[in-house]
Amino acid sequence: MRARDFLVEIGTEELPPGSLAALSAAFAEGLVSGLAGASLTHGDIEPFATPRRLALVVKRLAARQADQKLTRKGPPVTAAFDANGQPTRAALAFAESCGVQLDQLGRVEEPKGVFLHYSGVKPGLPAAEVLPGLVQQALDRLPIARRMRWGTGAAEFVRPVHWVVMLHGQQVIDCTLFGIRAGDRSRGHRFHAPGEFKVTPTTYESRLETVGKVVPSATRRRKLILDGVSALAAELGGTALLPGDLLDEVTALVEWPVPVAGRFEESFLRLPEEVVIATVRDHQRYFPVRDSEGRLTSHFITVSNIDSRDPTQVRAGNERVVRPRLSDAAFFWDGDLKRSLAERREELAAVTYHRKLGSQLQRTHRVEALAEQLASATGADPALARRAAELAKCDLLTAMVGEFPELQGTMGRYYAAAAGEPAEVACALEEQYLPRFAGDRLPATPLGCSLALADRLDTLVGIFAAGEKPSGTKDPYGLRRAALGLLRILIELRIEVDLVALIDTALSAVRADMRRGEASADVVVTTGTFRALPDTDPVAAEVYDYIMERLRGYYAENAPAFSSDMLDAVLARRPVSPLDLDTRLHALSAFVALPEAASLTAANKRIANLLRKAEDDIPPRVDASLLEDPAERALAIALEGLRPEVEALLEARRYDAALRRLASLRPAVDAFFDGVMVMAESAALRRNRLGLLAIIERLFVRVGDLSRLQA
Amino acid sequence: MPKQAPIPPRTFQDLVFALKRYWAEQGCVILEPYDLEMGAGTFHAATFLRAVGPEPWSAAYVQPSRRPTDGRYGENPFRLQHYFQFQVVLKPSPDDIIERYLGSLRALGFDPLTHDIRLVEDNWESPTLGAWGLGWEIWLNGMEITQFTYFQQVGGLDCRPVMGEITYGLERLAMYLQGVDSAYDLVWSDGPLGRVTYGDIYHQNEVEQSKYNFEQADTADLFRRFESHETECKRLLELGLALPAYEQMLKGSHTFNLLDARRAISVTERQRYILRVRGLARGVAEAYYQSRESLGFPMVSSKP
Repeated sequence: MRARDFLVEIGTEELPPGSLAALSAAFAEGLVSGLAGASLTHGDIEPFATPRRLALVVKRLAARQADQKLTRKGPPVTAAFDANGQPTRAALAFAESCGVQLDQLGRVEEPKGVFLHYSGVKPGLPAAEVLPGLVQQALDRLPIARRMRWGTGAAEFVRPVHWVVMLHGQQVIDCTLFGIRAGDRSRGHRFHAPGEFKVTPTTYESRLETVGKVVPSATRRRKLILDGVSALAAELGGTALLPGDLLDEVTALVEWPVPVAGRFEESFLRLPEEVVIATVRDHQRYFPVRDSEGRLTSHFITVSNIDSRDPTQVRAGNERVVRPRLSDAAFFWDGDLKRSLAERREELAAVTYHRKLGSQLQRTHRVEALAEQLASATGADPALARRAAELAKCDLLTAMVGEFPELQGTMGRYYAAAAGEPAEVACALEEQYLPRFAGDRLPATPLGCSLALADRLDTLVGIFAAGEKPSGTKDPYGLRRAALGLLRILIELRIEVDLVALIDTALSAVRADMRRGEASADVVVTTGTFRALPDTDPVAAEVYDYIMERLRGYYAENAPAFSSDMLDAVLARRPVSPLDLDTRLHALSAFVALPEAASLTAANKRIANLLRKAEDDIPPRVDASLLEDPAERALAIALEGLRPEVEALLEARRYDAALRRLASLRPAVDAFFDGVMVMAESAALRRNRLGLLAIIERLFVRVGDLSRLQA
Repeated sequence: MPKQAPIPPRTFQDLVFALKRYWAEQGCVILEPYDLEMGAGTFHAATFLRAVGPEPWSAAYVQPSRRPTDGRYGENPFRLQHYFQFQVVLKPSPDDIIERYLGSLRALGFDPLTHDIRLVEDNWESPTLGAWGLGWEIWLNGMEITQFTYFQQVGGLDCRPVMGEITYGLERLAMYLQGVDSAYDLVWSDGPLGRVTYGDIYHQNEVEQSKYNFEQADTADLFRRFESHETECKRLLELGLALPAYEQMLKGSHTFNLLDARRAISVTERQRYILRVRGLARGVAEAYYQSRESLGFPMVSSKP
């Protein structure tokens, strides 16, 4: 039998739009890996996913598994037959386990002797027998947060299952999934084509579309929505805002997309556009429309799931829904504007930030000090930095942010501007939350950077000090994101800071607030001595290590040329500035590409070993009179020749140039190790040679510990 | 025989009649509201308790629902601290439960090939009831008109079989049918004795109850009452009196909602109160299961 296309379709009640794409991809991957494991060859696999179905078409799926060649070794011939040449029990048992007669077994000669040997073929099973198990297994492994039961059944899935199609070519695969017998009949659109109809693997997509009024391919549906909404927006004289995540969600909400345009009252355009967009987008999944000048218009586009007999009713209904929503938003906006942001600041005292870390007002005070201190590094005005930090969390108390938490910062910007705060301050209030996610934009102003950095530092240090550092996948305070954001701002915007000192400052402020909290919480104050704080707070190092560890993921994604061992080499120096670390990494990766690198890396490892094992005091300088060997003399001369220049380069943080100069030492270093015995009998010679090597190490190590590089 | 297209209900009471008639024809027991304050139709014993255990059960009823924090002194056109839900429960959830629900919309005059009807994921979890389920909100041209939930757990007990719960927001649906923008403008009845609006009946109630909820409720007394309902509930549970204990839990739960509206409970304390009510709900669910079990689950055999 030839290979034929295979179709599996699971027909369900409406699936969660947020996870449809992930379910579809996982279903395809699961089946592909199952087919590979079962030695069933096949061509391309095409996934289909709609709100009411998950389906896969596998091209040219083999009719049966490949036959498996089996070989087995039995007992040695000496143990297989007794003195009389009669087969022993061991021999008979082996033959039986192979399913053959003893005389059908062969012999194999090995160094240890001659053994009984079986070679045979295990015939592959027909695909039809294997497929139900593979499909079931793929479905069982879908990433479903919570599976549900329905009716009286015991079956569990994302949502109740109503039909199952499983076809290999024209042949229905005889099986039962979720208590439902698989067949060759699919169902169409819930309203346009609710009946059953026959499908085949080759006609699946076209039959669903023509008979079923369903566009089964999510990719194609997404394209239809994108094109349809764009065309409708163009008719309205504008362009639609089509963010990818909203497109994905709408794609997962409809089987037969039909865009419908609607309008709200012009008067709502007096609201900040982010508010209007959040209202129509988040609550209603509508696409807002901008005019040719980029201004938001009162048009919106919704994507309905039917080809309505009367689209005006669909439009009118949707318009009715958006009106009260926008009225609500306008009510919040007008109400919020009755008080300035600054007036709300004292109310932050009543909002708990964290049980151990005090109120939002206390946190605000800490961030104020940090933002002001950071101003010199970012180039911001310190007084404005303090002002921005004072107002930073006030918008959390507004009704609008209460309703639309994702507008935090943005509303701060509007309300600050409305209260006459300086424009930079207003802007910084929004930028403090940047970057919000991987790949998001960074703050564009020095003031925004100061606030964003200060906010993240306090969060990281505070939560660590409160004993809630992330563990495993649990990261409720978003510390991973905070650390990455901090690093991205420092490295990508080239801001030079002493991170170690900043952590210390932030930590002592947090500790002071924690002590204040404990003192007020304890009614009974024990008399006697106060527990002395350790000189160095162990949390400081923990926070530093945690932040720096994030660089591994950051570089793996953004600069794969910076390998993990290069990062180790640089981190070994515990650099205080992430920007400086980044500069060193660039230098190191350029160095590794040099022809001299391998040899010099090996030399550095050797030097590190020698110095570690040496029991002698290593002199800080080399005594020229003790340089006996021409090779060591040449090395010392070469080293002295380039040392002042290299030191100047290192001082100027021109690590790249410094390493390139140091690379020129290679012939001298190679010659030294070839011709000179470092661990000489004479203590004076030995110590002098170790001293020479120590100078080399000290120069290299100022960029990074090269001995940690992989050869 | 060709069926005539249904005539959409003109008044609020016609809407209730139409839903009751439809679900009665489907085989539901038509019940009256539970006579205690509660936040939603789910708290009616006909839902919460009947979801427990193996006995089949199908019912429909209107439940006046109180959410003190939603009060707006009668000034907001669609936010009310006292409103109506129409609740339908079907246990075990039939295979065609969605079709049956859509049938009810057809009976109200909504043609699904004219109106865009959508099932949008919305999972339900009630921390106070120790209950959760998966389901949807149902959109009619973008407006949420119904909550649809397959109960998975109630009072901490697995639901076997599963109860399907359908909750219509009556005001919203009526506002859509009548084309008005304020709940107070809804026509409740329009007969030979004249026209009466929702506002005529309930506006004063919204104003005065909002005042009570937000300003006048005696918090010290409410705290005391919460304690006493909790104590009483636990005592009754020890006696195996599940139904009276359930009423004490309901009263405790409403008392908590009032305290919440008065902002008398801090954020961290709030969680503790919710856990206390949940503890009671769990105890009631278990006691009810045991009492039905000792009766031999009498309704199991009544299944046709």
